Amino acid sequence: MKSPLHYFKKSLSTKLSLWIVIFTAVVLVTALGYMFNVSRHAIRQEAENHATEILENTTLRVNAILERVEVATNNTDWLISRHLEGPDSMFVYSRRILENNPDLNGCSIAFEPDYFKQKGRYFSAFSLRSNGEIHTTQEGNEHYEYFYMDWYQLCKLLDRPVWTEPFLDYNPEGIYSKDMIASYCKPIKDSDGKYIGTISVDLSLAWLSNTISAVKPYPNSYSIMIGQGGTFFVHPDSTKLFYHTIFTETLDHEDTALAALGHAMQRGEEGTRQLVIDGQESYVFYKPLGNTGWSVAIVCPESDIFGAFNRLSRAVTISVFAGLLLLLLICIQIITRELKPLRRLADQAGVIAKGNFDEALPESKRVDEIGQLSQSFSDMQRSLAGYIEELKQTTAQKASIENELKVASDIQMSMVPRIFPAFPNRPDIDLYASMTPAKEVGGDLYDFFVQDEHLYFCVGDVSGKGIPASLFMAVTRNLFRIVAQQGHTPEEIATQINLILSHDNEQNMFVTMFIGCVDLKTGHLDYCNCGHNVPLIDGQFMQIKYTNRPIGVWEEGEFCGESIDDIRERQLLIYTDGLSEAENPQKQLFGEQRLQELVAGALALNSEQVIKMLQDAVEHHRDGAAPNDDLTLLCLKLIKD
Amino acid sequence: MHSSTNAFTHCRPGRRQATRLCALLLLFAAILPLRAQERMVFTPQWTPQAQFAGYYVALEKGFYKEAGIDVEIVHPTSTYSAMTRIRKGESQATTLQLCQAMEIVSEGIPLVNILQTSMNNAMVIVSRRGKNPLEQKGARVGIWSVGFGQLAICMSMKDHLDYEWIRFASNLNLFVAGAIDATLAMSYNEYYQLLQTGLPLSEENVYRFCDHGYNVQEDGVYMTREYYEKHRDQARRFAEASRRGWEWAAEHPEETLEMVMGYVKKHHVATNRVLQKLMLDEVLRLQLDRESGKREFRLRPDMVKLASDLMVGSKMLRRQITYEELTEE
Repeated sequence: MKSPLHYFKKSLSTKLSLWIVIFTAVVLVTALGYMFNVSRHAIRQEAENHATEILENTTLRVNAILERVEVATNNTDWLISRHLEGPDSMFVYSRRILENNPDLNGCSIAFEPDYFKQKGRYFSAFSLRSNGEIHTTQEGNEHYEYFYMDWYQLCKLLDRPVWTEPFLDYNPEGIYSKDMIASYCKPIKDSDGKYIGTISVDLSLAWLSNTISAVKPYPNSYSIMIGQGGTFFVHPDSTKLFYHTIFTETLDHEDTALAALGHAMQRGEEGTRQLVIDGQESYVFYKPLGNTGWSVAIVCPESDIFGAFNRLSRAVTISVFAGLLLLLLICIQIITRELKPLRRLADQAGVIAKGNFDEALPESKRVDEIGQLSQSFSDMQRSLAGYIEELKQTTAQKASIENELKVASDIQMSMVPRIFPAFPNRPDIDLYASMTPAKEVGGDLYDFFVQDEHLYFCVGDVSGKGIPASLFMAVTRNLFRIVAQQGHTPEEIATQINLILSHDNEQNMFVTMFIGCVDLKTGHLDYCNCGHNVPLIDGQFMQIKYTNRPIGVWEEGEFCGESIDDIRERQLLIYTDGLSEAENPQKQLFGEQRLQELVAGALALNSEQVIKMLQDAVEHHRDGAAPNDDLTLLCLKLIKD
Repeated sequence: MHSSTNAFTHCRPGRRQATRLCALLLLFAAILPLRAQERMVFTPQWTPQAQFAGYYVALEKGFYKEAGIDVEIVHPTSTYSAMTRIRKGESQATTLQLCQAMEIVSEGIPLVNILQTSMNNAMVIVSRRGKNPLEQKGARVGIWSVGFGQLAICMSMKDHLDYEWIRFASNLNLFVAGAIDATLAMSYNEYYQLLQTGLPLSEENVYRFCDHGYNVQEDGVYMTREYYEKHRDQARRFAEASRRGWEWAAEHPEETLEMVMGYVKKHHVATNRVLQKLMLDEVLRLQLDRESGKREFRLRPDMVKLASDLMVGSKMLRRQITYEELTEE
């Protein structure tokens, strides 16, 4: 089974559609993501503002009442300090506070143990509002040592007015009522500024509890209030009231976020936090309550704040996803339909590619790119059929010519002596030659033979290449044999060949030649250089006075010869420009300098080794490039007996 | 004991209600002698909590019944302490810390330890803001007004720390509000309550008496010698059944916690399951002798001697109280 990726790669319509959908999706996701983010932020901000406003209003109301209590206490406290001589007046003051302030539940004006000698160890004037009546008593006794109570000691030790933590008051049946009380306590000092007792005013916090509990900005939100010790004084779960602190859960399992919230509230900070409460992602907005050390918080489940937003987000996301899917399907369908002719064309092209050039192409009336392509393809099919036919003929012709050229090459190669050692019976002659045409047939030549103890030899290079040059080469080589065998000197041989070749030379072809004749007994060399590359002797270019013109250029004039007395034990190398001008793929020439260095380093080698070494060097230099000219080499060394 | 957020917190009982309570208790006292041989009232020294789990188990699982005693557990109130009930003969047994018991004996009320449950001292000093309590010479330190903490007073004198003791009724609000620098606490109770107020506690700001040469046993069950002499067999059976209760509690902590929570709810004690679980674990841990690693249920003569020496040294006891004086022999 083929993978979807394979299908994707193969189907242009799917590929195009997917790209369109991906691009659309990127644009949509970016835009929607940005919108969602901004909206979410705005909703959060709105919720925060809303909650903050509610908290602000609540704390303002609460603070106003708490302040009333503080003012009432302050209004009495100076009276106490002034009338310390009459302890019984404390009952009046304690009662009067309740009479003047209907909000208040109780008031104690309590003194240090044995402060009033006449009253004994305990003296605390206590008034309590109960069922609308005010009862006043002295409340200290051995079972109720008020001076160990928080409300008494807190302001004494801290030396400032304080609110106690809220507590539950008894009801007459000895069971705790739901009435939550908090006391505002202030140190009483004598005229010397010495602490002598505490005035404590009790405020029922039922209203506070109700006020805070009623704060419910969202359907599932709720409000809490904690004291300085983290104890819950307002909480929707009544089992937690007074019994649990905000940290209780963290003792059972670690919850750093909750602990951090608790600490922030204890520090009297105001703010917003996001954390998981009772397994629900929630936002908590918190604010301290005046200078009580208590803190109020609204806990809003995230789902409440972002409920509508989340629903909208989900709906939009689903719609977008569905829309993209639909877009993909529609795109695939439209593009497939549009590309149908192209597919048919592709199928037909496949058939044509197999060689069925006569296969009819589908008719297309379209004028768009696909129609044009179809038309062009049809034209191409026709031209292709014609071309193939032409090619068949040309190929047949070429094969015939190649065959003939092969025969021509064989004939040409048979014209030059190719069996080495050339003179098996003459160990004094070390001669080796090779000819490599650049094409099937070439325009280079060499020849040698021994006659009357003289060795005649030549190396030539006909102008041009290929068949014309090869024909000219054949004529030249035959002429050399015929003329040289008559015992002429090299310059005479050159003169005679020139006469014959330049006559009726309408093609203006010519040949450069080096013709030599060695007396095998003395080693004396006569030679004539007719415009040919200067040969090397013992690795040095020969000093040639008369270079002469190439043979076949014009009839007039003699050729001049030169001689060397004794070439025995000397290495003579004659070559054509196929060696020095051999090119590599970068069109760099082999070069005469390199040739000279190579030959100078090969004086100890025999002729065959020298030729093979040079052939290898040229092959290596060409580095795979096709030969640019025919290459002919001839090396001769006469050995003394 | 020493519950800080319980009934004793802040509350100011009205006069009427105290009177009613007294009347009710007098009535009990009147009825008691009628069934004296079989019936017994046991009053732990504090409101219901896991500190007394073993006794609840012994009652609920019928261990006392099996021992032939009809035990009633009556808890004290803020105005009517366990010792008051013992003195008045309304209760026949109570739990006391060793130091407390020695103080009472020294004051002329002979007591007999019929069962020792604690093998280790649980008292700690916790100081504010990560300070080492030993480096706070002259600091204001909270102490229970009802008279625990004898060892702390000895330690303050012996180590020349000269703490200023601030007696508090029964809770930690003074400490939380910053009115005192440090407070005494029990490792099974106030210690966890402090943790519950969000206070960071570390080895740095917690001083454990047991680690500084003050490892004196605490809770044990006591009777007046007078009652004990007349009811030796009942005392032995009560102690044995209570011990069974504790051993069962150690083996079944989950079920025990359920029983504790039942008592806690019935008496409206301001605590919660988390705190009670921690308390139960710690109380059970304190019952393991440090050296043997076992629940030994015995008073250690060396610890009695240590406590006596310390308290005589700091003039909290008028004379040495011996191991023999506190035991059945």
